[in-house]
Amino acid sequence: MGDCHFLEGNLRAKERVEYTKKLLNEIGLGEGRLEMFHIGASDAPLFAEAVEIMTNRAKELGPNPLKCGAEKAEAA
Amino acid sequence: MIVAKRKPFNEIKELISGSKKILILGCGTCVAVCLAGGEKEVAILASQLKMALGLVNEDVEIDELTIERQCDREFIEEISTKVNVDDYDLILSTACGAGVQLLSDVFDHKVVVPALNTTFIGVAEGPGMWTERCRSCSDCVLADTGGICPVTICAKGLVNGPCGGTRHGKCEIDPEKDCAWTLIYNRLKKLGRLNRMEQALPPKRYSVQQYPAKIVHEAYRRRYE
Repeated sequence: MGDCHFLEGNLRAKERVEYTKKLLNEIGLGEGRLEMFHIGASDAPLFAEAVEIMTNRAKELGPNPLKCGAEKAEAA
Repeated sequence: MIVAKRKPFNEIKELISGSKKILILGCGTCVAVCLAGGEKEVAILASQLKMALGLVNEDVEIDELTIERQCDREFIEEISTKVNVDDYDLILSTACGAGVQLLSDVFDHKVVVPALNTTFIGVAEGPGMWTERCRSCSDCVLADTGGICPVTICAKGLVNGPCGGTRHGKCEIDPEKDCAWTLIYNRLKKLGRLNRMEQALPPKRYSVQQYPAKIVHEAYRRRYE
């Protein structure tokens, strides 16, 4: 952590992601669809693991309720 | 500058409830600098409201506009060249309290509600951090206190200090807070002006403060007579 090409850029990004999660919680959508992973450029196994975590989470959470509304409106 | 903080999201949602078309109006000056009510914050608030209302299938149209300053009629008048204010049920202003009030004066047939809580006059200490520096007391003593305001920084607002509650440079009210008069002593010592502390300052002239305050510049007096 902090060992970033842009010095402390990843730490700043982490703070912004936490803030954005708060915004998503406020509106009732929840923070689950957003996550930040710290992965080294050469760390393929960790990347694959993160993709799996997010894929499973997306399946658990189901379709984005905002998009569902838009699709229903279009269909009607 | 004026420093403000956004109201809790649920409070904002409550303030706009019942409106079908809303204009979120940003202010590009103080509240933009303190990341509370500028163009970017207006965009974030608009997106949040659109998503939150979308989740409960509420059909509300939300537009965004940011002007240079909401505390100046000249800039408020520009709004009408960009949008038709009469199209909106409500204006949600992300200006400070002064801006919201002037906006309400100019568009006195429209409901104008604040999205921010105006908090203090202060300075930027660094990215994302602001501290209060001035209580706008109308009787500045900074020349005698080494440029550190005891009215603002001292928990008791003492113009002659320190009091008996100073503890190793911190305040008895809150050990996390610096003792204003220790700061003043150290500053005056650095400036070679410690003699300023040998004479007691006269009692603060609170009578010079007007509520609400008003200033008319001498060169403009005739037009307001």
